[in-house]
Amino acid sequence: MLSRVADSLYWMSRYMERADGILRMLKINYAWSQDDIQEFSWKPVLRIFTSLNPEEINGFSLNTRDVLQYMVTGKENSNSVLNIVTLARENARSVQDHITKEMWQCLNDFYHTMRDDNLAVALQKDDPITVLDILIRQGLIYVGTTDVTMARGEGNSFLNIGKFLERAIQSSDILNVKISGLGADDNHADAAYWKYLLLSISGYELYLKTYRGGFEIKNVVEQVVLSDQFPRSVIYSVNHLHRHFERLKTDHSNEGFDNLNFTIGKLKSRIKFSTSSSIIHEGLKKYLTEIRFCLVETGMSLNKNYFA
Amino acid sequence: MPISDLLQSYLVDNDTWDEMYARASVREQYTKAIDFLQQLSPEELNKKEDLAKKLFMSQGITFTVYNSGEGIEKIFPFDIIPRIITATEWDFIERGIKQRLKALNLFLKDIYSNQFILKDGIIPAQIIFSCPHYLREMHNFAVPYDIYVHISGIDLIRDADGTFYILEDNLRTPSGVSYMLENREITKRIFPDLLPNNNVRSVTEYPNILYRNLVSFSPRQIKNPTIVLLTPGIYNSAYFEHSTLARLMGVELVQGSDLVVDNHKVYMKTTNGLQQVDVIYRRVDDEFLDPLVFNPTSMLGVAGILSAYRKGNVAIVNALGNGVADDKAVYTYVPAMIKYYLSEEPILKNVSTYHLAQEEEREYVFSNIQNMVIKKTNESGGYGMLMGSAASDEEIFQYKNEVLANPREFIAQPIISLSSAPCYMDGKLQARRIDLRPYALCGPDGVEIVPGGLTRVALREGSLIVNSSQGGGSKDTWVLGSQGLAGESE
Repeated sequence: MLSRVADSLYWMSRYMERADGILRMLKINYAWSQDDIQEFSWKPVLRIFTSLNPEEINGFSLNTRDVLQYMVTGKENSNSVLNIVTLARENARSVQDHITKEMWQCLNDFYHTMRDDNLAVALQKDDPITVLDILIRQGLIYVGTTDVTMARGEGNSFLNIGKFLERAIQSSDILNVKISGLGADDNHADAAYWKYLLLSISGYELYLKTYRGGFEIKNVVEQVVLSDQFPRSVIYSVNHLHRHFERLKTDHSNEGFDNLNFTIGKLKSRIKFSTSSSIIHEGLKKYLTEIRFCLVETGMSLNKNYFA
Repeated sequence: MPISDLLQSYLVDNDTWDEMYARASVREQYTKAIDFLQQLSPEELNKKEDLAKKLFMSQGITFTVYNSGEGIEKIFPFDIIPRIITATEWDFIERGIKQRLKALNLFLKDIYSNQFILKDGIIPAQIIFSCPHYLREMHNFAVPYDIYVHISGIDLIRDADGTFYILEDNLRTPSGVSYMLENREITKRIFPDLLPNNNVRSVTEYPNILYRNLVSFSPRQIKNPTIVLLTPGIYNSAYFEHSTLARLMGVELVQGSDLVVDNHKVYMKTTNGLQQVDVIYRRVDDEFLDPLVFNPTSMLGVAGILSAYRKGNVAIVNALGNGVADDKAVYTYVPAMIKYYLSEEPILKNVSTYHLAQEEEREYVFSNIQNMVIKKTNESGGYGMLMGSAASDEEIFQYKNEVLANPREFIAQPIISLSSAPCYMDGKLQARRIDLRPYALCGPDGVEIVPGGLTRVALREGSLIVNSSQGGGSKDTWVLGSQGLAGESE
């Protein structure tokens, strides 16, 4: 497969995963903003999903509709859903012959939905949840279409590598930003705080089933970082990243493959042989920063060994 | 059957050949389709038109116009009423194009080797050597099977009495074939059953034939040669076509930056290292193909590709230097080529053409300028031309000065009215001018033309310019099977 094609597939997939993450985050935070006007703030969302620095975030209007406009249809925000979907589509456009026609049509439809002027108006005037649900569904159609139609070859491996790398980074970022909003080992945060954190990554129900009876930071960390069952946990994402990466192995030896395999394997064991207590003991913030560093390193190494 | 207003409002210019209407009655090939259309109400037809638009949009069959930093998606306008060609007409066109391509391939081989046609005084040497697309780099180099024009899109028009004329030979990188294929797909969706009921011949073989030919051009005789389609990239207006063809043939779509030349061999950069390329179907113009030889600022090409080509390590389709054969001044001599190389009479006629470099002809053209269209010899796409009938005195004056400054670069032709065909516009049938571009493929076993092509439409009333860059649209183009088969299909 052409290096450029692999690169485009990888980024198309990363952008789609990011769009999904942003949309879910916005939906849940919007619901929260209607629920709890005292505790709620849009700042964490802006910190996780934009490139604004802390001063800019402080100066940013925290009016709900303004944030939604900026995050969803904002042309000036390079990480708005509009711009991300546009980038995903541009990538898809340059590799149309390597994805299925259905996938292309699905991304193309998503793009045209994003470009529709009525969408921006509805986001300002109507119920934002309805609008966000429409967009989330477009993303799900993409995921389903890809699963059902995409050939299980090298291209599919790069799609999955992109998807799970992006997801691992997102989950660790979300946890990091949310946790640093609290004191060092503050177990007394409002139940709503944890509830909405878990809801925004679709992990609330699993949490209730697993732990019952109240929220504890230790349990939240265990689910979001270490759970094999939770599809958005860091370990789940890294395991899948590794599995799809291993399929790139060919008969003739490739130094790039060996290097990356080492990097990912090391990261995997680092997480696997941690427990929620050990993580909290060595400092959650430090731990998550280290994981993130390894994930970013993996991305750069892919770039160097496969896409250049 | 309800008599709809469809036909009653249809006005045909008496001095024009209309594809559907002859002396107030519908031509036989159109009867079934028109009967079918008449049973639909205007609302239903409008719905079909909307559906067609939606299909084009959602399939991304669009080109992007970049305006104020923001891309706007545009559809190449599509008219829902098909253009219908009879089996007899097609047989004539097919024979004519095959003959012409045979002569043009022989001409290119000759002009890049012995140049007998110049030595025998059939074509003035001056015309050839002054052509900017004549490439000295192509001399004395044998291309596989002596084929230069692997893919052509020859433009045909019809005069007031229905005679077919060749308007242009497009022998470099003709585009539009994906619209021939996609327009047919759209017709299948909006008019179910209409195609089989009319015994319309299929065009879907095109990518298969092209692929088979490309394989046969591979210099390495191996089982699975690497074939690539070289595109200028996603910002090119024909990008949709490039990706469609690559997909339909299952070949790799590459950009210049994906290829490298090492030791006179072309490779593509893959996730598993370099892989040798055998055949390149390029959609990049000669001038941008190799920055070492041609335009040194080109980012679209591959440095060293020409040397690999000349060494015979890679096949390039179409061959380089074909522009010398579709130059508008050389066009005049194609009938002479047919006689010279094949000893045959040309089947399809040329439009009579005046060379403005010759003084008497220039005088004649200038004094009859209202009936003339003047074109630049090396431009296409409807750019840089003057329609004498529509231009103001001021425009004519300026254009004349341009001509006088460089007469070799201009030719003139009498304005041909072009045939008209019904289009569904604003809720009724209206006559619009059309042309026809069939796509011919030359391979080791001869020339093959899929029965169909691109019919381009001048969407403005009375306009004679069909180019998409000048506001043209397109239609699905039907070639009917012979009568016997039509009976069987019922």
